Amino acid sequence: MSDPINIRDLGLGMKVVLISGAEAEIVGNPNDGVWLFARYLSSPGDPALVGQEEMIFAQDVVETRS
Amino acid sequence: MAINGTRGYRPGLVDLATGQISREIFVNDDIYAEEQERVFARSWLFVGHESQIPNPGDFFVSRMGEESVILCRDRAGAVHVFLNSCRHRGMKVCRYDDGNTTIFTCPYHGWSYGTDGALVGVPYFREAYHSELDKTKWGLVEVAQMCCYKGTVWANWDAAAPPFIEYLGEFRRFLDLILDGWDGREGQAELLGGVQKWLIPCNWKFPAENFSGDSYHNISHRSVDLVGAGPSGRSRRDMSELMASRKLHVAIPDRGHQTITYVMPKDHVPQAAYQNSPEVAEYFRHCEEERRRRPSANSRLIGAPGEIFPNLALLPRQPRTLAVWHPKSAHQTEVWRFFFVDRDAPQSVKNFLRDYYIRYSGPAGMTEQDDMENWNYAHAASCGTIARRYPYTYEMGLGHAVEDYEFEGLRMPGRVIDLTAAQASEEPMRNLYGRWAQFMEADSWDELMSWRRNDLNSLGREAVAAK
Amino acid sequence: MSDDRVARLLLTQEIAEFLYAEAELLDERHYDDWLALLADDIRYWMPMRRNVKYGDTTREFTREHEDISWFDEGKETLTRRVRQIQTGIHWAEEPQSRIAHLVSNVQLLEATPSVNAPQEVTTKCRFLIYRNRVETETDILVGKREDTLRRAGEGWQIARRKIILDQNVLMTKNLTFFF
Repeated sequence: MSDPINIRDLGLGMKVVLISGAEAEIVGNPNDGVWLFARYLSSPGDPALVGQEEMIFAQDVVETRS
Repeated sequence: MAINGTRGYRPGLVDLATGQISREIFVNDDIYAEEQERVFARSWLFVGHESQIPNPGDFFVSRMGEESVILCRDRAGAVHVFLNSCRHRGMKVCRYDDGNTTIFTCPYHGWSYGTDGALVGVPYFREAYHSELDKTKWGLVEVAQMCCYKGTVWANWDAAAPPFIEYLGEFRRFLDLILDGWDGREGQAELLGGVQKWLIPCNWKFPAENFSGDSYHNISHRSVDLVGAGPSGRSRRDMSELMASRKLHVAIPDRGHQTITYVMPKDHVPQAAYQNSPEVAEYFRHCEEERRRRPSANSRLIGAPGEIFPNLALLPRQPRTLAVWHPKSAHQTEVWRFFFVDRDAPQSVKNFLRDYYIRYSGPAGMTEQDDMENWNYAHAASCGTIARRYPYTYEMGLGHAVEDYEFEGLRMPGRVIDLTAAQASEEPMRNLYGRWAQFMEADSWDELMSWRRNDLNSLGREAVAAK
Repeated sequence: MSDDRVARLLLTQEIAEFLYAEAELLDERHYDDWLALLADDIRYWMPMRRNVKYGDTTREFTREHEDISWFDEGKETLTRRVRQIQTGIHWAEEPQSRIAHLVSNVQLLEATPSVNAPQEVTTKCRFLIYRNRVETETDILVGKREDTLRRAGEGWQIARRKIILDQNVLMTKNLTFFF
């Protein structure tokens, strides 16, 4: 179980790894610490999400990569 | 609080025949509760100014009645007014005073809304809601009607209310006096940064009626006149252009708006004002010249305190400010004060005016302070059992209003009392409370638009006469 | 203790005593004596405060000389306010309020040219103003003051006062008193 990450100030272009194993690139950050707008780069559990822009919930973010 | 039909407002609590109004309407908690439904839930209320939200994503948290609302501009540039409360469990979705955002997020469970009010982010929508929640039904509550008028933003929760311009009726020109430029150009007003917000311990109707046109209470402000806080260092206002004018009370019946106003003679050249600053004096001299060059209904009008029903006070000059008297309880009001200058006035003029505004109005305003003292203790002295048995008198000038008033070719709408000799009247208050009583008794807006029935009636009469 | 530290200690105490004496004048309604403590070019500024997002460093306070504030004025207007009270018919201060200024946390920030022979100092303190009026009207206002004091003879004058009140919506009906 990873430590919680404060997503509030994550920059555009950073990657986040989600609890589902998917990876997404941040395309928007409302700076509320609750949501990110990100585009899926990979999504093992649901391949249809790749390329889609979705809202990502803070609790689903387990890791960040630049 | 159930709406229970007539409570005998007219002529019981508001007796316009004698000009006597019961103290109950100011101090009674039940009446206050009913006002929230019957007055504030269906009137046009001032929310803010477009200059506070110039860019997509800009927002300003404002108030309608007791309730917090968000004034914002969405990504496409459209203006909205929303109830500041998450649809899920009520938490405020914005507790900043203003700013810019892409979404409004509720800190409680994370629901988030676009600046167009749409519900966009619901945590575990697929997992917990099984994708069954219909997001389109759970966006932020939006006002039923909204109107942007020369930069000012107004909103109404009642879809049945007439459009804002119709709501204003013939009072519109007085709102123009504060929103148009000093030189007569349309819509030049710009808001100065910083909205004053403060609490006063009285019912909202005390300030509302004062600004409706209390021209009787100069004695209250004598201390300011004595120390010369006005823009020329004399009195509290520059009075020279006012001395040459007719001073009037103008009340728009059926709408509940009213004002003091000054009408200048046809070819009058105002004397120099703002003598404490030659640059400012020159600017205003130039503006007055331009005003006379632009023939308009307003070029001979000088603004003075007025009130748009129910709780928006306007003062087009000296100082130039709007105040909203937000009800908090029967016994407390939260005032929000907005100050204006012409957007292209020289900075030195804006500075001069700002200095004057701050020392005149607001809680640090040498003039407004004494008003508030009166309202505070008038309210306090009216709460008791015995006090409530004795109505206030608003009979000054009763029966002396005229319609079709005209001064050197300029006609005034509504019911007018010429104060030039009379000094004061209470026609504006009778107008305000008459309208208030109508709102408190009417079950729908149909009953509040007598002018539409009159228009239909007169159309009918014309049709019959034509046959 | 070094000379500088002693000088600093003494100067801080001198400043504090000046501020206490000033508070005494206000509490005792010696307004003309208080006005004499203000430099002719004093700036007296109390910005309004906004609730802003974490990290916003520019918009929490309204701007001096640009925005509407609670106070943003000089000696002439402050003098008019005193004169207004002295008319005896400024109803918001008639009858006059009872007031106590508590001044604490006095800090010496800077002394120019030196702590040993200061001509100008900047100082910060906290205030708690207790104002009671008529029967039971009571206000408690708390915040900070940043002052610039200038040597005037053996004493000081206030050249600049920035009042940081810790409120957003002002919770008193008027500001008829001085901070």
